[in-house]
Amino acid sequence: MALIERFQKTTDIGYWEGQIPMNYIYTVGRAGEKFFREIMNGKIFGAKCDVCNIIYVPPRTYCEKCFARLEDSYVEVGTKGTVHTFTQCYETFDGMKKEAPSLVAVIRIDGTDGGLVHWLGEVDFKKVYIGMPVEAVFKAKKDREGSILDIKYFKPTK
Amino acid sequence: MSKRVAIVGIGTTGFRATTPDVSYRELTYEAATKAYLEAGIEPKDVDAFVATSEDFLEGYSIADEYCPDQLGAVLKPIYSITGDVIHSLASAYMMILSGIGNIMVVQGLSKASNMLTLSDMVTFAMDPIYNRPLKESPHAVAGMEMARYMYETGTTREQIAKVVVKNKRNALTNDLAAHGVLIDLDYVLNSEVVSYPLTQMDISPHSDGAVVMVLAEEETAKALSKKPIWIRGIGWCSDTPGLETRNWGEAIYAQMAADMAYKMAGIRYPRKEINFAEINDEFSYKELQHLEAMRICKKGEAGPLTEIGGTEIGGEFPVNPSGGCLGVGNLFELNGGHTVLEVVRQLRGETGKNQLKNVTTGLAQSWRGVPTTTGTVAILSN
Repeated sequence: MALIERFQKTTDIGYWEGQIPMNYIYTVGRAGEKFFREIMNGKIFGAKCDVCNIIYVPPRTYCEKCFARLEDSYVEVGTKGTVHTFTQCYETFDGMKKEAPSLVAVIRIDGTDGGLVHWLGEVDFKKVYIGMPVEAVFKAKKDREGSILDIKYFKPTK
Repeated sequence: MSKRVAIVGIGTTGFRATTPDVSYRELTYEAATKAYLEAGIEPKDVDAFVATSEDFLEGYSIADEYCPDQLGAVLKPIYSITGDVIHSLASAYMMILSGIGNIMVVQGLSKASNMLTLSDMVTFAMDPIYNRPLKESPHAVAGMEMARYMYETGTTREQIAKVVVKNKRNALTNDLAAHGVLIDLDYVLNSEVVSYPLTQMDISPHSDGAVVMVLAEEETAKALSKKPIWIRGIGWCSDTPGLETRNWGEAIYAQMAADMAYKMAGIRYPRKEINFAEINDEFSYKELQHLEAMRICKKGEAGPLTEIGGTEIGGEFPVNPSGGCLGVGNLFELNGGHTVLEVVRQLRGETGKNQLKNVTTGLAQSWRGVPTTTGTVAILSN
């Protein structure tokens, strides 16, 4: 690579600093509307494809296998599931070290082919295992705002 | 019978952790100049160009508009693929088969060191409604995939760490690599945990660099090159993107992409008919998971094969003799360009101390990184 002259400090090399300010809203869509209205009621909903015998969680308006319309096929799926996989994460989303690690898992909701990515709570990392039964813990009803964060975490089922 | 297509020239800057002395344009210009010189062509001889760019990674909202000049493609047919360089290679290959022209150019670039907020950029790839509100690092996705892969296959932490030791050592004797180092198993096992079981040493550091290649139809290829490297098969595939419904243990996308490429190349027994592979090891366990997905190993056998040295240079089936992403650096969309480059160099006998003996067919594979489920495969022969 071309070095024309020797630089002693990398800051001597020319550069221009730039930022891209990016702010968006993301509409949740029709299936998302159903999911987030129900989550405020303390319920988790999916969408069932009768042809493929698949239940999608989170719900969607179409089956990705057979492309059938699922908008009339929303089903309540309960709030229990199992840990499909999990990790203890020490890094923040912007690459820094966390003050305390978080316990993140993919929860396969019972009787469905989908699930939710969420935190595990009320459990020690060393006690968690793949296949562990868990259930959703919701925020107090007055604090819910139609977000995935209306679920506080999943805790082991007693 | 379908036309045959070969790579007749390939140029690179090599790969470095930072490149403060050159702009992203100059990186591509250097690689292009070398590729054209090797193929004995000038930009005016090229029928069409395929560049590879991802807006957020390049730092432009229309990065493809900034591709033509440094390739010599001004006022020529050019477009950019937002994917992996092997996607671009497939596109150029198809253009030759469809008769659009005889000579095509493929480009890929990484200027990762330009990104001051690289982690935020990768986090921005997560689903905004269901995943991003948790504000978790994409490395948590890799940690969870690694845990599930180990659970389903019985692969051990030590077997995965062996991948890191091997690839970083291979990179030491690769002139193009940036992150070669001699370390032992304990060093990897004791490195800082990022997202359990994933440690700092399991994660490929980033690199800058560019690769440009010249493709030609059979007759032109034979006229231009004494050592044309033939594209025998190419494939690509994407699994469902959702973290909630995807397969966490197996890399189905790599399996389907490989099957597509094997079918085109007429390969039935990949372990026997292919001599070596350069595959994506952006995270150490991905090398093993990809090997199994592409049927080079049975499920759960890539770890044991690695443990006994079967994937070393000189082993039964060498994997990432270049050092892979772990040793050369994670190059984002250029990762596939790097694997093709190294397969070409091996098949031409140009890799010095890392040269494999008697190789005639190699496999180049790539993956678009977390949180994606997109894979690409190319099979090349000399």
